[in-house]
Amino acid sequence: MTGRLKLANSLSVKLSFFFSAICSLPVVWITCGSTAYAQSQVITSQVIGAPPEASNMKLVGANDLQARSAYQPTIHRQGDRWIAYVGHHGGTDEIPDPVNPLTGKAEPNGTSIVDVTDPAHPKYLHHIPGQEGKYEGGGAQMVRVCDGKQLPKGDPNAVYMLRTFGSEAHEIWNTADPANPVLITRIGGLKDTHKNWWECETGIAFLVSGAPDWRTRRMTMIYDLSDPAHPQKIRDFGLPGQEPGATGAVPTEVHGPISAGPQGNRVYFGYGTDKGGFLQIVDRDKLLNGPKEPTAENLRLPEISRMPMSAFNGAHTTFPMLKMPIAEFAKDKDGKSRDIVMIVDEEIVNECAEPRQMVWFADVTTETRPMMISSFTVPEASGAFCERGGRFGSHSSNESMAPVYYKKMAFISFFNAGVRALDIRDPYHPTEVGYFIPAITAATDKRCVKIDGKDRCKVAIQTNNVETDERGYIYIVDRANTGLHILELTGPARAVAGLP
Amino acid sequence: MRRSLLTALAVAICTASGVAGYQHVRSGEGGWHEIAWPFPRDGWPAGRAFHCDTAACGDGVEVYVRPKIGFCSNCDTGVADDDEVDRVADLDLMSERFAPLAPGQLIEVADMHGRLRSYDLRMQDGSRHTAVGIAVSRHCDLLVAVAHGRGAASGVQRAALEFLKSREMSRWMTLAVDGG
Repeated sequence: MTGRLKLANSLSVKLSFFFSAICSLPVVWITCGSTAYAQSQVITSQVIGAPPEASNMKLVGANDLQARSAYQPTIHRQGDRWIAYVGHHGGTDEIPDPVNPLTGKAEPNGTSIVDVTDPAHPKYLHHIPGQEGKYEGGGAQMVRVCDGKQLPKGDPNAVYMLRTFGSEAHEIWNTADPANPVLITRIGGLKDTHKNWWECETGIAFLVSGAPDWRTRRMTMIYDLSDPAHPQKIRDFGLPGQEPGATGAVPTEVHGPISAGPQGNRVYFGYGTDKGGFLQIVDRDKLLNGPKEPTAENLRLPEISRMPMSAFNGAHTTFPMLKMPIAEFAKDKDGKSRDIVMIVDEEIVNECAEPRQMVWFADVTTETRPMMISSFTVPEASGAFCERGGRFGSHSSNESMAPVYYKKMAFISFFNAGVRALDIRDPYHPTEVGYFIPAITAATDKRCVKIDGKDRCKVAIQTNNVETDERGYIYIVDRANTGLHILELTGPARAVAGLP
Repeated sequence: MRRSLLTALAVAICTASGVAGYQHVRSGEGGWHEIAWPFPRDGWPAGRAFHCDTAACGDGVEVYVRPKIGFCSNCDTGVADDDEVDRVADLDLMSERFAPLAPGQLIEVADMHGRLRSYDLRMQDGSRHTAVGIAVSRHCDLLVAVAHGRGAASGVQRAALEFLKSREMSRWMTLAVDGG
């Protein structure tokens, strides 16, 4: 046993004792119980063959996704089938183009299409190759899906899958037959495409991209994709100072927007990813119908407000939950329901080498005075997560607004801390009610840090993104090539969502 | 007596922490002296700051340099264009109002490749400075530096590059990016 290992074991025993002692105090027992400190011993590293770590969540099924690094999963009901579309980062140094067993060919990571109708036995249907390139430099990270019959000018028999193509384009595929997708159109000539949003009821798409002449790496191109075969550009949008021809400081870049649609008439943009972030609240109607020339004045016009965050934190996901009834305020004559935006930062660096990225809840009811009201992070000591390897911190939340979980529960991908299930019915006091950290496999890729100029690597799960379906299944995917895990809630967490 | 002891202890602690905050380059080497990092905390940890006021540096030049570990952009392509220098080179620490004087150029510092660009910088008090922004990278990590002075851009650039390419600074920059 090395001195370092001895120290780690000694620390883990001490921490276990500390939490056991704290949790035995009646005053804090409820909190401890709900955050699953009940582990008898803190696990400091993952080993192949060990069981997953879980509380009030259990594994239903899994698929290895051909050992491709995964970003966005989107689950879509197609007739009586449920199809998971999973976007991938590029390949690794060791395996730039994994072999697709269905074709026998080495293919650059792109989009996995998996039939999850029976979640216990997911069936891999098809892989659409992405852009050649490794890590963030290739693949097809993002994916959204709309039915043709819902889009105003779509083919009613089609199912349209919008994806990024590496960093250089956005593509739309017809996946009505998910085993045989057909390319419909491509919007190319771009750089740094990323986390888009597509309103299925209108066809309006917010395509995060890098336009060649803009000064920022990522801005938002707004398109009318109501007829996916004929994309219509509406305008470019970003922050004053990012537009072509500007000088001086360049504001931080967008990561992704989420629209409340024509009824909500708001778009919530998250900027900054992991540093100097802010939430921007934008009037959707002014954004779509206002003056479109990218001048500083025109870019400023649709903005209602910005809520700056600490320089230590950024905004990866800005998930709106409008008109949430707050039980504590039920007898108040005013303000008994609140407009809430959940902001999820993205951890970027391995092994806690940057400020903790976590989850924030903002009350935006008075839109010009938005205010942060609460936060959540996984207690590091509960799993020695800074020692396990890879990233520890938040990355994203589920973005489904299906009634099963909307405004009741949120699921947060937390890299080496797996997925965390939060009871958010009182967003002023979010509470963890479950978690699941998948086991690593032989496919799980290493994560390294530089020590004296040399790589020191560890292997740990890296739960990157999470999504839910209308049935209540939770889908998590791994950045370190471990694949897709389909989960369900158990015990008290199930009751929070009102599930039988 | 007790007050004197407390005062001495406080001075000792402050001095020690001040020294620990940054390592000095050898005083007077090429006219450069390390000074305290002059900017408030932002998203990146503080770097190192240096001042030179000898004739060799023209009318006084300051250089601020720091690593940005985990920048997460352009891991493969590095600092690919002048816009990237505008965004990352810390010019905004001094003033948000700056305009490029000319297209940038390729540069290599401490075995890292990137770009350098010169700017006209308008300070808060209305005065104008010349600034040189430098951004180089290794994998997903950046090393950025910004130099400014009242002299011509060519002079500020020459003085800053000579200093940054010195053996001691090159070694520190390599260690800063490589996790030393």
